[in-house]
Amino acid sequence: MPTKENENEHKDAQAREADAEKAAGAEKANAAEGLDFANMDLSVESVEERISPSETNVFDK
Amino acid sequence: MIQSTAFPVSLVFPPQGHFTQPYLALPCLKAWLQDKGFDDVELRDLSVEAYDHFLSPEYLAWAKDRVAERLPLAELESGESLPFRDMRAWRAAAESAVSADALIERIDEAKNVLRSEAFYDRDRYVPAVRALYHGLRLVSAAHYPSELTPHNFTMRYANDRSNEVLAATIDGEENPFVRFFAEQVLPDLVKRRPRVLGLSVIYGSQLVPALTLGRMVKEALPDCHVTAGGGFLAYIGEKLMNAPGMDACLDSMIFHEGEAPLEKLCVALRAGESDLSEIGSLTWFDRRGGKATAVANPSGHPVKLDSAPVPDFDGLPWDKYFSPEVVVPYDINRGCYYGECTFCTLPTVIGPGYRTRKASTIAEHVVQLRDAVGAKHVNFITDCMPPGMIQDLPDQLIEAEANVTWWSDARVEPRAYTTEGAKKLYDSGCRKLLFGFETVTPRLLKMMKKGQSLKSTIEVASNCADAGISVTFYAMVGFPSETRAEAQATLAFLQEHSNVVREVSLQTFHIDEVAQTYREPEKFGIRILDDPAADLQLYHDYESEVGMTSEEAAEMFEEMMAGLRASLPLFSGDNIFYFMQKSHYFLHLAKGTLPDDFVAACRERASAREARGARPDLAPSPGLTSIGIAYPYGKVVETLGHPLARAARPDFLTGRFVADAEGLAESRLEPVAAGQRVLCYDAIACDFVELAPDGLRALDALRQAGTLGVLTDSLGAKSSAARDNLEAFAARLYQHDLLVPTLVPASRSATPAETATQTDPSHAH
Repeated sequence: MPTKENENEHKDAQAREADAEKAAGAEKANAAEGLDFANMDLSVESVEERISPSETNVFDK
Repeated sequence: MIQSTAFPVSLVFPPQGHFTQPYLALPCLKAWLQDKGFDDVELRDLSVEAYDHFLSPEYLAWAKDRVAERLPLAELESGESLPFRDMRAWRAAAESAVSADALIERIDEAKNVLRSEAFYDRDRYVPAVRALYHGLRLVSAAHYPSELTPHNFTMRYANDRSNEVLAATIDGEENPFVRFFAEQVLPDLVKRRPRVLGLSVIYGSQLVPALTLGRMVKEALPDCHVTAGGGFLAYIGEKLMNAPGMDACLDSMIFHEGEAPLEKLCVALRAGESDLSEIGSLTWFDRRGGKATAVANPSGHPVKLDSAPVPDFDGLPWDKYFSPEVVVPYDINRGCYYGECTFCTLPTVIGPGYRTRKASTIAEHVVQLRDAVGAKHVNFITDCMPPGMIQDLPDQLIEAEANVTWWSDARVEPRAYTTEGAKKLYDSGCRKLLFGFETVTPRLLKMMKKGQSLKSTIEVASNCADAGISVTFYAMVGFPSETRAEAQATLAFLQEHSNVVREVSLQTFHIDEVAQTYREPEKFGIRILDDPAADLQLYHDYESEVGMTSEEAAEMFEEMMAGLRASLPLFSGDNIFYFMQKSHYFLHLAKGTLPDDFVAACRERASAREARGARPDLAPSPGLTSIGIAYPYGKVVETLGHPLARAARPDFLTGRFVADAEGLAESRLEPVAAGQRVLCYDAIACDFVELAPDGLRALDALRQAGTLGVLTDSLGAKSSAARDNLEAFAARLYQHDLLVPTLVPASRSATPAETATQTDPSHAH
């Protein structure tokens, strides 16, 4: 049977959880803080390997 | 009566060869020896064993630590610019720093993908192959400057100089095979105590590893006779046997086909003979009198091929090949019935004359191989099938109910590859044929004595393509006197016929010492350049009165390859991995995929990836890692891919080593200026991507927000430019799988557990 003490603990835990969620939400919402995306260098460079003749000789005996 | 006594023989295929399927020579020799009463013949494919060993979490973890010691990234990043001489080391250190942990975790799963049904899932195949390539880069970095790739093995040493080759065999720091042999091979051999160790050296890339093992076995087992043979040694064997110090690695060498000489060698050694002068096609060290003297015996007679037994593959490590099903090689003939092409030196490798098996024997052997090792797929080894065989073999395979699929090389024979002929080939299991196309220029075809017209070539190719057989063309760039315009015309023709020609094996022209181009250079308008220091020289540089220089031909190779990658769907983007791993594309055809359908899937894969745009549920891949680097990675890789940069190190496959190329590259290739960048690696996509430092900040923001949607929502309506820039960034990362959708599962690689359950333990059979 739940005691008053247990109930209080449960309420505290719920409150802590809600606070954590709120904090996480705030953190997520603030992720862009201080970042000027419009003027950032967001270039992405991928590298396509050049294939040398020694790598194409795949049909030899 | 043939007597059988204890006489263990070990036949070894040394690293480095293709890792997708076994080679044929040693199974032929094993079958022959057993037929002659030698019943204790062991086969070892040390090439695939080495790949499997190096590409293991334990070895990669060792390699990671070793790279950190040998190539400290911070030290390599201390300069204002990165000179050419440090670029390879810096690249190796940077890649290792960002990818090693992911590769250690991922490598077993990647091998499982290639060895299981997951192989046929493109979205799992490509990252798995990438993981193998990157794993080998980590292995190479641990032995810097040596490089082991799926197709080559090179060291700082040139293999056309015997003193360098011998030095390479004892360089435990840079030669990865010293430790591999000592720990993984020698203990077994010492226990087994073979009386003969036979080394098969087909490629230049095997020379140093073969001699390394020969030296170690001779030291550990002084009573074991170490012999070697194979294609590459047929070219340089005589020089090699006369090079000072070579007797520390070998006792003899067999020229051309090995069956008869090896049998006679075993018979003589079993009888305790020390005089080996009666064994045809053998060059040996006569050690009587305390000094090793190379003795070259006269050539022996080739064997009657049709009476040679079916190759015996028993003992090969079937489960180690990087393919879901192993394609078994089988030789239908030896030599070339045409034998006219002026650039071709294969008769030197195989030996004089042309011999064939009967079509009925071939079909019988194919059925035996199918039943013995479960071989459902065959790679017919032949320079070209004569017209009669093209007609008879399909009949025999169908009649014998062989039910196998196969691929092979072929010569343009318009009378044989008719519409009906091609259809019958398909019905017999033929799924891929490779024709010697070479060039579109009639003048050059005439100089090459190809004996085929462009019209007949394309007619034959079209008939095969219409029948459902995939067509590959061999093409050549840089034949003496070829101009840039002529090479460009060849490229244009191949691009125009991409609906018929699915793959092109493009090679740069090399002059080797046995080719007609070397013996009669004046006929081709060239002057051969000799390098007196290269006592094992096989390939020669040359000067041409007209046409492209060697360097221009190397540049034209780049141009042609870029053109082919733009036009052939199988060569586009990462689809090229199917072409580059021997038999991997063929296995799709063998499974019932038609070339048209495979090509359509390649196209679709490439375009679907390009079309990926930003979506709100995109989040950073859980496998994404990054490091800060001091130089632009892409710029360094581009510089290292330049033909001048590539010529700066010895190429064991072509044997070509331009002694002053390092200095030339250093003087002509600009250093790369310092600039803070970020190198990313994703453990799941197995891809390297470079960002500006701002990109890393944006990635961190994405991580913090959880998804792109949350991040863009937080921007509000105040800046559409910010939103556009961020979304374009996200789309590009999504195209590389560095961002992944969180709502709809993307087609990603499975977990190791999933892969393990899908691995068919009998895949190799």
